[in-house]
Amino acid sequence: MKITPENIKDYIRQGLECEHLDVDGDGRHFEAVIVSKAFEGKGLLQQHKLVYQVLGDRMEKIHALSMKTFTPEQWAKRA
Amino acid sequence: MDDKQIALEKIKKTVTDNPVVLYMKGTPQFPQCGFSGRAAQVLKLCGLTSYVAVNVLEDAGAYEYLKYYADFPTFPQLYIKGELIGGSDIMLNMYEQGELQKLIAGAIGRQE
Repeated sequence: MKITPENIKDYIRQGLECEHLDVDGDGRHFEAVIVSKAFEGKGLLQQHKLVYQVLGDRMEKIHALSMKTFTPEQWAKRA
Repeated sequence: MDDKQIALEKIKKTVTDNPVVLYMKGTPQFPQCGFSGRAAQVLKLCGLTSYVAVNVLEDAGAYEYLKYYADFPTFPQLYIKGELIGGSDIMLNMYEQGELQKLIAGAIGRQE
């Protein structure tokens, strides 16, 4: 079964409370923008690890996922 | 030792013996995946001309077990002084912030 951006959104939402979540992709390559309070106090590496943990074994079916992670504060400053 | 332990020992030796190590699909000249190509490109932009690049498509142990070494499931992975820095998204972000250049300069003992 082909994975859709909606699937990935659901997977992330199930394990991570997000203030903002965007996933785009063609079934093989995906791009995610993830804004979550859970990222506060964490470096980029820990933020990405957290998302990978939430996705778990499903990462094996996701060929390529590019992600940008923000805390709500960083996101507000950016917009 | 089983295959996993052997592979993890080899990874540990590689990342601690060398200041900068990039695990990637393909080579810096001929990357086999867009993210790996981008990672090599970022290192080039940092002015790094010589570093250890491990082609995981030709290293079965690294291909299978690198994800367990620093609990990070994807390729590429950049290590500086034995520490996982991250994948290509993190590398690009840190390069844009000017942080990656500093880390690399510190690791190879070069003055900015």
